[in-house]
Amino acid sequence: MTTAISVQGVSKKFRLFVDKTRTLKESVLFWRRNRFYELNALNNINLQIKRGSTVGIIGRNGSGKSTLLKLLSRIIYPDTGTIKINGKVSTLLELGAGFHPDFTGRENIYLNASILGLSRSEVEEQIDDIIAFAELEKFIDNPVRNYSTGMYMRLGFAVAINVDPDVLLVDEVLAVGDTAFQSKCQEKIDSFRARGKTIVLVTHDTSQAESMCDYLVWLDKGEILAEGEPHDVVGAYLDRLSKLEEDAALISHDKDEESRREQRAERVEKGDNVSECEGQHTDTELTVPEEKSDKMKAERWGNGVVEINSVKMFDVAGNEKYVFQCGETVQIAIWYEMKQEIKDLVFGIGIFRGDGLQCYGTNTYLDKFKQSNYPPKGVVKVTIYKLNLLHGKYFLDVAAHSQKGLPYDYLTRHWSFTVRSRIRDVGVARLDHAWKIEQVV
Amino acid sequence: MWQRFKEIIEYREMLRNLVHKELRARYKGSALGFMWTFFHPLLLLVIYSFVFSFVMRVQMENYSLYLFTGLLPWTFHVTSLTMGTNAIVSNSNLITKIYFPREILPLSIVLANMVNYLLALPILIGALIYLDWDMGPSLLVFPLVLLIQALMLTGLTLIVSALNVFFRDLEHLLSVLLTGWFFLCPIVYPISMIPKEYIGIYTSFNPVTPLIIAYTDIFYYSRIPNWNNLLTITGFSIAIFVIGFIIFNHLQKSFAEEV
Repeated sequence: MTTAISVQGVSKKFRLFVDKTRTLKESVLFWRRNRFYELNALNNINLQIKRGSTVGIIGRNGSGKSTLLKLLSRIIYPDTGTIKINGKVSTLLELGAGFHPDFTGRENIYLNASILGLSRSEVEEQIDDIIAFAELEKFIDNPVRNYSTGMYMRLGFAVAINVDPDVLLVDEVLAVGDTAFQSKCQEKIDSFRARGKTIVLVTHDTSQAESMCDYLVWLDKGEILAEGEPHDVVGAYLDRLSKLEEDAALISHDKDEESRREQRAERVEKGDNVSECEGQHTDTELTVPEEKSDKMKAERWGNGVVEINSVKMFDVAGNEKYVFQCGETVQIAIWYEMKQEIKDLVFGIGIFRGDGLQCYGTNTYLDKFKQSNYPPKGVVKVTIYKLNLLHGKYFLDVAAHSQKGLPYDYLTRHWSFTVRSRIRDVGVARLDHAWKIEQVV
Repeated sequence: MWQRFKEIIEYREMLRNLVHKELRARYKGSALGFMWTFFHPLLLLVIYSFVFSFVMRVQMENYSLYLFTGLLPWTFHVTSLTMGTNAIVSNSNLITKIYFPREILPLSIVLANMVNYLLALPILIGALIYLDWDMGPSLLVFPLVLLIQALMLTGLTLIVSALNVFFRDLEHLLSVLLTGWFFLCPIVYPISMIPKEYIGIYTSFNPVTPLIIAYTDIFYYSRIPNWNNLLTITGFSIAIFVIGFIIFNHLQKSFAEEV
């Protein structure tokens, strides 16, 4: 095993200036003021990359991915530690860096390639390939000033990829051009791998990382959290992401609750006389929402004889959460309070997709749920054994109404939850299924 | 240090292309284009000749010729330094995105201006021929003097280009300093105008003075420059070059974070 890249104990700090002192006068006058704070971009990184491997670096924004790549490409230097790279390095950080707008495409190929370290004879050998790869045969002798963004990027990519280094460092530039061009880039990268070159790839796209790389490094806040088999690392990374999302969802749920309370208070102030409705079980009493057109607007109506105080969702272990895996068991709990005794109280739930499509809806009446009497103050618990909805965001409606449909308290689009799934099937819900192929005689 | 030199040599194609780009891009879009390489020093010559021989009445045989001999290398000096100050800062897009030996950038500025100097030389030679000037073997020393000047300028440009990344004021300060520097050199006046008792101080603190003296010796006086004089400035230039190289190398590691 030969090492292509060896990173040992590398740390990098950045000074972030609040208001950067730049002029001589300022630095003389304010020499005492150190208006900056230090940011640990990378903290004691140790990494060995084998020759011929394709290594992906994943992580959230600000995790230090790009800093590491810049360190590897010698654009910036570490504060401590050493980096050793065996062989010629080429970096795809930005395409077409150093292009001169007034020069023709051809001239810029020579210029750009020489900046990337190619000699003239090497460029001359490859120039036809480069032009063909960029698909710019017709425009190669026009100034790049007149190029479209796509043409510009294609030319930049074509030059950079044809440098033929031993180690290629790539920073999320593969999303260049149309689909056809992208697949060509992919082929080029594949042929790179086939020839035993080393590639280091920084990416946000976990599926790309999983499919392209044979080793993954997960950076978080300047430290390596995990490294190894792409499948394992991506799994751990996605778990962390959904954990973070869950936390965010809990906070947003609390906010929703707050806004619901406000709406309640507002309604009372408006003078909807709750007591007038008592006992009059007629549909004419319906308080129709004013802005029906806005499907996703949180609304609340009803006469208030029964009041829904709060709604929460739990997983099978009883943890409150709002991000679920497809197929997970979910419990919805609805806290209510009866202002007077009612015989025909019905509780219902409805689940809506972001575009307003109702995915599912049911209530205690439809389900023929029977319980002798409801406590005046209680909690309704609905367990969904398999939440088989597909990946996406959903809204939850909750209502308490009479059997005839008179709403006591009707809350629509007040709560939301997210379903995650790594299977990209389509439709509304995942129907339990299994595949089998049999021979027909 | 040798490692750096080796790498710079590996990137000679980039250097070549940048010099080419510099020369081509400078006059791009102007009607006279590349002709400005000739017009610029000629127009300067007209102005200085008017001021110093017509208004100030400098008594000197073929004063314009003397003036031109000093003005050309001075233009090389001044444009290299003023453009070189911005060599790193104005290429921040390259510095922050691509690795290459950073020395290439100031180096390309010096070389481009040297090419410009060389291209303006035919005017000087033409004038010498027209005036039936006696051109001796002293011309053979010219490449050596040019090399010494280029070496010194490279050192100075490396220093100013690197320092300007951290102190952007340098660029403004430098333009004033260069004006003063101009009048401290025997360009618009011959060295004989300096009082005897000050000549020691005058020559020893200004590395450009012996260069100008050497150039005027070669072209105006048609005599081989004083070898002692040449040796001194060679030592000067090498020292400046080495110091510039060390300072630049020390500062270049944080260029990408500062530009």
